Amino acid sequence: MNVPDPQSGLPGLLARPYRFLRLEWTSDLSLLRVRTCVTPIQCFSLAGIAEMQRVLDDISLNPGLVRHLVVSSDVTGVFNFGGDLSLFSLLVRAQDAESLRLYGRKCIDMVWWLETAAQRGVHTTVLVQGDTLGGGLESVMPFHKVIFERSAQAGFPEVLFNLFPGMGAWHYTIRKAGFAVANDMVLSGKLYTAEQLYRRSLVDLVVDDGRGEAALDHVVRSIDPRLRGTLVALQGQRLAAPITYQSLAETVDLWAQAALSLTTRDLRLMERLARAQVRKVGGAEEGALHEIKRIELDTAWGEERTGITEWTTLS
Amino acid sequence: MALVESTDQARRDFETHPVALAAVADGLSVERYRKLLLELYQIVWHFNPICAAAASRVQDTHRELRYFLYEHMAEESGHEQWVGNDLDAIGVGEAALLQHRPSPSTLALIGYNYWGAERRNPCSVLGMMYVLEVIASVYGGAFASAVRESLLLVGDRGVSFIGSHATLDTEHMVQLRKILVTIEDAGARDAIIESTLVNFEFVTRIFAAI
Repeated sequence: MNVPDPQSGLPGLLARPYRFLRLEWTSDLSLLRVRTCVTPIQCFSLAGIAEMQRVLDDISLNPGLVRHLVVSSDVTGVFNFGGDLSLFSLLVRAQDAESLRLYGRKCIDMVWWLETAAQRGVHTTVLVQGDTLGGGLESVMPFHKVIFERSAQAGFPEVLFNLFPGMGAWHYTIRKAGFAVANDMVLSGKLYTAEQLYRRSLVDLVVDDGRGEAALDHVVRSIDPRLRGTLVALQGQRLAAPITYQSLAETVDLWAQAALSLTTRDLRLMERLARAQVRKVGGAEEGALHEIKRIELDTAWGEERTGITEWTTLS
Repeated sequence: MALVESTDQARRDFETHPVALAAVADGLSVERYRKLLLELYQIVWHFNPICAAAASRVQDTHRELRYFLYEHMAEESGHEQWVGNDLDAIGVGEAALLQHRPSPSTLALIGYNYWGAERRNPCSVLGMMYVLEVIASVYGGAFASAVRESLLLVGDRGVSFIGSHATLDTEHMVQLRKILVTIEDAGARDAIIESTLVNFEFVTRIFAAI
């Protein structure tokens, strides 16, 4: 007689003790809801990544168990600030290329799981109800359905401190919105509203603040009756516009190498952003988004005084 | 990566402790900054004796580590006086400094580091160094700026130790990493990880108590 392993299947998946995630199960939809809460600074810490990967691995180990994976944030006003800036700062200062590369690989392992989710029989949806920056936005883009509440803003600020988003930003922005949009977004460091992202085809649905949960329910329930066809179609979509793990990994290697050459000024800017994240955590109205706008202004002011812009430099 | 990965949550627990968060973002009141420097003085004062204890027990197979400790001790020699000068700048004289009784967390931190070096594994000293240099190089600059702004200090006055170590320890981080990758035996690696976790834990407690 086969005795079921008490830690396998749904009980095993839901019973694991998580510090940064909250899991919920909706049985009629076989829907696993993951709420992230990397308090007090919501970013991709190593421990947070490990927990999320554990959930994804558990889903893979139980084929057919989860039909819908839905991710959102439990932190008010923040979906995800992206990479752990203090950890980057530490590793750059130590010139630790290997650890930077391994960090990047852990990130793209999650991206790759989402990229191949349809093959695993899982449809993925993400609800963004607050700021999402850099790696936070990269983590959103591989989902099959991306829902933003109207006040949410996002962008890739890395270029402001001489880095670039290296965990899938180029791949997914190009796939979804084309080269011109990808160039604009990655090379400008600008922030975008939910509506602007929708117009660029990076967001599938924008709803008024507070309406995200209802929209989520509507999206999942409308997909569920045609799930098999949708998943096969999404596999076909990925064949038509392929992204490979190797290409993601090579981009991570380039990112890690670039990070090593950051100067003290670059690290200070990065740390300004980290401090701004802290201020937001402390309840201040102004957070990382305001700091990015300030850095953009500082840069523009520098250009106005010197007459040097990236375009005049190039020409 | 093993050291970074095994101890990263302890670093995050320090970084995200409400007192540390507020200190890096907004600085500290003068009373709390005095308390912090009084505790810091003890840590800096005992740093070299702990390194010396470790160096005396390092096996000949770890010759490079012994030289690293010698060089580090020479560089850090007298730096407790920088803390003393900073205390003087914010109104704590030498008499008050010498009368200060370290907090239980400071005593536990220092005691553990002596015990680690003398009784456990001399390589554990690298965990202490890693924690102090991570804190100085990653958070020290922002913390020094925030304290300077909140207490209206001018230049390096009152923040000379923290401000200068934010820069100095960037170079130390590179040197420390080069030494860490030479440590290959499992016992020494475990000792370094344990020491890092203990040091982060007690530094966090020291911050929490000020």
